[in-house]
Amino acid sequence: MRRLVAQALACGALSGQALFGQAGPYERQKVDPTAADRGKRVYTQYCINCHGALAKGTEQGPDLIRSPLVLRDRLGNEIGPALKKLANHKADLTQAQVVDLSHFLKDQVENTAKNRNAAKPPNVLTGSADAGRAYFNGAGKCSMCHSPTGDLAGIARKYDPINLQQRFLFPRGGRGAKPTEVTVTPKGGPPISGTLDRIDDFSVSLRDAAGAYHSWNRTADLKVDVRDPYQTHNELLDQYTDTDMHNIVTYLETLK
Amino acid sequence: MKWLSFVWLPAALCGVTLFAQEWPTYNGDYSGRRFSPLTKINSTNVNSLTLAWVNRANPAAGQQGAQQGGGGNTSAVIKGTPLVVNGILYYTIPDHVWAVDARTGRDLWHYAWKSKGGWHIGNRGAAISGDALFFETPDCNLVSLNLKDGKERWHKEICDLEQFYYGSVAPVIVKNHVIVGVSGDDLDIPGYLESHDPVTGDLQWRWYSHPEPGTPEAATWPSVEAMLHGGGMTWVPGTFDPDLNLYYFGTGNPQPVIAGRGRLGSNLYTECIIALNPDTGKLAWYFQPSPHDTHDWDAVQTPVLFDGTIGGQSRKLLAQASRNGWFFVLDRTNGKNIVSSEYVKTNWAKGVDAKGQPIPNPAKQPQFDGALVSPNQGGGANWPPPSFDPDTGLFYVNASRAFSVYYLYDDDDKPEGWGGNDRGGYSESLLQAIDYQTGKVRWSHKWPGNGGGRSGLLSTAGKLLFAGDTSNNLVALDPATGTPLWHAGLHTGMTNGPITYELDGIQYLVVGAGDTLYAFAMMGR
Repeated sequence: MRRLVAQALACGALSGQALFGQAGPYERQKVDPTAADRGKRVYTQYCINCHGALAKGTEQGPDLIRSPLVLRDRLGNEIGPALKKLANHKADLTQAQVVDLSHFLKDQVENTAKNRNAAKPPNVLTGSADAGRAYFNGAGKCSMCHSPTGDLAGIARKYDPINLQQRFLFPRGGRGAKPTEVTVTPKGGPPISGTLDRIDDFSVSLRDAAGAYHSWNRTADLKVDVRDPYQTHNELLDQYTDTDMHNIVTYLETLK
Repeated sequence: MKWLSFVWLPAALCGVTLFAQEWPTYNGDYSGRRFSPLTKINSTNVNSLTLAWVNRANPAAGQQGAQQGGGGNTSAVIKGTPLVVNGILYYTIPDHVWAVDARTGRDLWHYAWKSKGGWHIGNRGAAISGDALFFETPDCNLVSLNLKDGKERWHKEICDLEQFYYGSVAPVIVKNHVIVGVSGDDLDIPGYLESHDPVTGDLQWRWYSHPEPGTPEAATWPSVEAMLHGGGMTWVPGTFDPDLNLYYFGTGNPQPVIAGRGRLGSNLYTECIIALNPDTGKLAWYFQPSPHDTHDWDAVQTPVLFDGTIGGQSRKLLAQASRNGWFFVLDRTNGKNIVSSEYVKTNWAKGVDAKGQPIPNPAKQPQFDGALVSPNQGGGANWPPPSFDPDTGLFYVNASRAFSVYYLYDDDDKPEGWGGNDRGGYSESLLQAIDYQTGKVRWSHKWPGNGGGRSGLLSTAGKLLFAGDTSNNLVALDPATGTPLWHAGLHTGMTNGPITYELDGIQYLVVGAGDTLYAFAMMGR
């Protein structure tokens, strides 16, 4: 239990509450963007110097996004009384300002809680196009299957940079990916080829060029030859350095 | 070779005699081996296995409460391992518990918790002590029910929903302790494990996944503030050695999850295998599979306990196939490393240090323009439980060889939350059999097809290894060679670990797939 005490003591001011608040019926406060904008002005005027531009705290004041009191707050019901009680805080904010401030802080919390998603696409064009071209034509052996004036002509118009990066690394994941081909040869029978429908250790099925469905149990005398069109791409994942990856996408971005 | 048989609970508390014929805990026993001594179903007759019954979870039949915030609707997917005690099978999904006749699959009672919210991503199962059942709810409660009728005995808050914690873990009963963990990684909150009294529900102790401020281990964080908000959730049930009186479990990722610049250091005790005294919650030792993790590779995978031979000497061992793609064997008396090896090929470590812990390559930490990393965020393994077969001496894990690109998004000096993520990927699914003495993969079975599902595992003295493949099959394999012997096609992929039990001379095999439990047996008539 002493860790509970240590933890509570380590969080000062607005965050200095017991870990377990008396939470009421649980519903996260829905952020009103207009009120949050007004609250940002309140925050900027009275709070920012100690708690920082993003409410993550400074040496003068604690992080408010990590504050149990702020997390527990609903429309200022915790923040308002705390402001009146704590030294060196703006005790005379109007109730409306407190509510606005609550919306601003809740907006910061919600933004933090979902920042596993990018606010804007990362810049992946940090390599050398020349080095990428050299890799394409040399060590990567990409030019054995692809051509900048053939299948890759205009590829940079089709995909933005991050999707271009993802696409060359993991081509199976994109729309329009080539299907896996398979040839099945029953004992004594002619081989039947087509697009792999499903395979496990016990059965295999395909659709042939005419669209007909074929299915077999994988008996000992059944030959199955699966051809993954992206096998070379898969093997390259063990060979690319991150520098190669950056160079290639920077080169591909030149193929407008 | 001497192998542990951890089927032990004090009778005074249990009120239930535990036989090998039952499945009374999350892992079947305390060892985490998920190895059953039952042999009625075996390699010579497995092809005669037939469907005995089906039970479909129907949460709508109970009282379903509002679920605001967090993960939204109840996920009617059975991710928990059922328990079988005195002929009754108990299973869970978030907010719901069912008791069914283990012979017929017929519902006996259904309990529905009225939820206030929280992530409904999954529930790992329940625990039983005496005439009581215990389970966690997404809205941070530990609930105790009467075993006979499912009526609530009590409930206790175990975490703070306001801080975005949630409950998902199967409790573990050790003597007079109900040991529970917590989940949640949206915000920067500390993980912990705590123990409750099984009769009153009162808190007995709590252990945080961070050191005490001022201790040498605290120097693995740049500040007390970073440490106290450093994550390390405890979301997979642990294992227990009654002779050593040590409870073993893993801790999850540090916070912020991906953007690690605000928490330079190894970030103890996140990403650790932990040994605690279950009576006091006092730390005995730790081992850190992923120092300063920035890939969300929680080291929570089941720490499996067995006695084995190392260098000609009998040793008390603990083994984990960690999410980061590495396999570790430790001396479980003191946490000293014996084996560190990759069970799938990875590209993020520069080697291992003197303690046997992988050394992260800074170049493979998430970058603003991306870093190509293997394994991906899903890991070489994840929460589905592995198995250890004392007859073969092999450790089995349903694994993935996977790549993705890890991006940093947050360029602030003090990132919070996640601050990045991984994207895309290639993966292949493999069932790996690992020699614990060397860490080498003895055999590897690549599941055909492109599915990414993975399940828990079960090995038995009937010379069988049960697994879910990536094509919705329950598969029995030869544990010595990995040769598939039998299968049954399910309506979707397996979503939990298989269990087995014996009633009236009939051995049952039960697996969960989506919202359905399938029971197989050699019915004979």
